Amino acid sequence: MALNFHPPIHYAKSEYIETDTGNKVSRRATIAGPQNIILGGKTIIASGAIIRGDLRRTGPGHAVVISLGRYCLISDGCILRPPYKTYRGNFNYYPMKIGDHVHIGSNSVVEAATIGNHVQIGKNCIIGKFTIIKDCAKIADNTVIPPNTVVPALALFAGSPGQFVEDLPESTQELIDAQTKQYYSRFQPLEQQQ
Amino acid sequence: MTLPSVLYHCTCSNAYSATNAPPPAHLPSSSYAFHPLSTLFFCEECDLVRCNRCVAVEVSGYYCPNCLFEVPSASVRAEKNRCARNCFQCPHCSNTLSVVGSDPPPNPNPRAPPNVNSSGDSPFFLFCNYCRWDSVEAGMTFEKPTGLAHQLQKNEDLAPETLEFDRLKDHFEPLLRASLHSSSSPAHPVTSTPMNAITAAANSALNRDIPGLRRKGRGEKHNLKDEWGVYRARIDSANSGVDAEGEVDFLRDCEDVNEIAGLEQRWGSSWAHSIKANDLEPLRVPLHSKQSKRCPECRHILIKPEQKSQSVRYKIKLMAANYLPLIEIMLAQPPAQMPTALQQRTAKGRPGAAQGAGAGASGNVTTVGAGADELGAGLLVSGRTYQFQLAFTNPLYDPIQVRLSVQRAQPTGFTLPTAGTGTSTKPARAPFAISLPTTPFPISAYAEAWEYDDDDEEMFMDDEELEDIIAGREVGAAGGMGALRGGRPGGAGGSEKGNVGVLERKANVTKVGGEVVLGKDALGEIKFNMLVSYTYRSDDPQSNADDGSSAANTNKTGTGEMKTFSFYSVVYLGTVGPRGATR
Ligand SMILES: [Zn+2]
Ligand SMILES: [Zn+2]
Ligand SMILES: [Zn+2]
Ligand SMILES: [Zn+2]
Ligand SMILES: [Zn+2]
Repeated sequence: MALNFHPPIHYAKSEYIETDTGNKVSRRATIAGPQNIILGGKTIIASGAIIRGDLRRTGPGHAVVISLGRYCLISDGCILRPPYKTYRGNFNYYPMKIGDHVHIGSNSVVEAATIGNHVQIGKNCIIGKFTIIKDCAKIADNTVIPPNTVVPALALFAGSPGQFVEDLPESTQELIDAQTKQYYSRFQPLEQQQ
Repeated sequence: MTLPSVLYHCTCSNAYSATNAPPPAHLPSSSYAFHPLSTLFFCEECDLVRCNRCVAVEVSGYYCPNCLFEVPSASVRAEKNRCARNCFQCPHCSNTLSVVGSDPPPNPNPRAPPNVNSSGDSPFFLFCNYCRWDSVEAGMTFEKPTGLAHQLQKNEDLAPETLEFDRLKDHFEPLLRASLHSSSSPAHPVTSTPMNAITAAANSALNRDIPGLRRKGRGEKHNLKDEWGVYRARIDSANSGVDAEGEVDFLRDCEDVNEIAGLEQRWGSSWAHSIKANDLEPLRVPLHSKQSKRCPECRHILIKPEQKSQSVRYKIKLMAANYLPLIEIMLAQPPAQMPTALQQRTAKGRPGAAQGAGAGASGNVTTVGAGADELGAGLLVSGRTYQFQLAFTNPLYDPIQVRLSVQRAQPTGFTLPTAGTGTSTKPARAPFAISLPTTPFPISAYAEAWEYDDDDEEMFMDDEELEDIIAGREVGAAGGMGALRGGRPGGAGGSEKGNVGVLERKANVTKVGGEVVLGKDALGEIKFNMLVSYTYRSDDPQSNADDGSSAANTNKTGTGEMKTFSFYSVVYLGTVGPRGATR
């Protein structure tokens, strides 16, 4: 699957930190509690994104609060915040797990519990607490997914509250695989200062 | 304005026409005949593309979209296609409901949701955390937090419409069974033309569902009423159900339109149901299905999903994208208009701003002499000439030779590859002329190595590596075609002059240039049907000779058998706005 007419997306080299595994994290993103966050590699965290790894379950030691797989994109102004609830009188945060090849559009707020692989989330979405999004699902732009919603595999959800719209094509996995890899390779540094 | 695009034809839209050619691009019916490549299937048996509109669909499994439980077919019937676990839809907003206990005492903060864990005390009720509806409103509370679906289904089963439906079913079931036995074998008749196949499929589907229709349709017996017997309704529909007077009173006194249930909210229930919003009841979540898809003609399986409800894998998956070349299009930017690299970079500096395939392309669409506001909008201006590029990606492990042509025999209103304003017989459609490369051009075979491997440190093969591979595999390919890199139009690529011809060859991708000349009266969508024929050697993947680029090499001396596959596509270039609008 090729995407031949897509030009490079250039960023100022000084803005991004690139890790050994190819993650690219904007210095203008807010990464709170980085010791509690796992990035799978070749994942991009764009400018203005906020990732709240600091909101962790009470107790001693380290805990993984937010984990992201490979080839993910957290776009400008996204907020990833672990879900919380009060259970039997105790307030607690719960971990958030995001799979591989997941793109989240700009200015979306995500409090999901689990997001599978090859998931597309549009811009300006609200993904409520403890939402579970299965593989290859897609959330259209401007969708509000209420807390505790389950989005099945290969389903397109849209609206407010987010509703099932249709099944996505059987080729979705390969399509998203190619698109996310392509995006990463188009995302190239520019030496010049900005 | 949509971006330039290429869609692929499925011949099922031709079921009732004599040829396999699609309707002319300017007809409204055109939009039904073409599909994105990623949604199409391919039947190897028939050697044809199939689409979602023509494949035969079979349910291969049911599951609840909320609890994701796979429901066996037997239960699906008994549970009336809805989830029998604790999954309910809000009758107002369709959000999934939570089971909530009445304890602990009401939260002092009115904005906080009730305790959403069913650890509370009886009575329990259903609560919507989106619109804040609760089932107490509808007079529904439950003693236990479990088995709610069972209680709801009991209510459903006792509803007058359900009883009536069951009675109807009992009445017709013996007849259905009898007709199933009498109808010929379930195997489909094999027919030669698409028309026959579809007619036959439609007939047999109708036969199965409504036995009366077939007989009537064939003008056989007309005395079916006797066979059916007389059905007597359980209740007299004229005098039951809605309390009409009460409803009138309710409407007269109604002050807030939200007291009346909306059409969408009542759509799923019977017409006899109350129109009061307060009377809406929670619904058990309807099941979803996984589907197998078959070729409508030869019945071979094209899609067979894995059993597990949330698996995205398939036991069989014959997608057209694995057989046909992928065609992508871009309106080309003439060298004179090329912004400096810096400008381009600042425009693309914001990551995420151009997420996704469609959005990503927009920044790159520029037209001859286009003003800034036209960039990416797909707006064209009449009287101008635009160049475009088509990128062909070969999915096959064999090199292919591609030949393009604009669909001939456009009935009216089209000028074809000659020039400018034109010879159209009827100027109802704005005239335009398309130039495409007329000689066949090669695309190298797909090889795993072309894909940048995600597990390697090296993300790209550099150009040298590519050149080595091309040079090594295809002697003589570099000369005419491979020389020009970067996709810049204007240079002489193939045998044709200017932009028209092969512009670039890289791995299993070949880019060719075309040109559209818009007449003075051009208006509306500029799109045309393009016939794509590709030739490949079916049995000899090692063959190297015919990849050599020039048209003279087409008929080769190789050992393998040459096969040609043709399909139609529709190329949408952009839209010419009304005069003045673009200026
Ligand atoms: Zn077939
Ligand atoms: Zn079709
Ligand atoms: Zn369920
Ligand atoms: Zn609701
Ligand atoms: Zn077949």
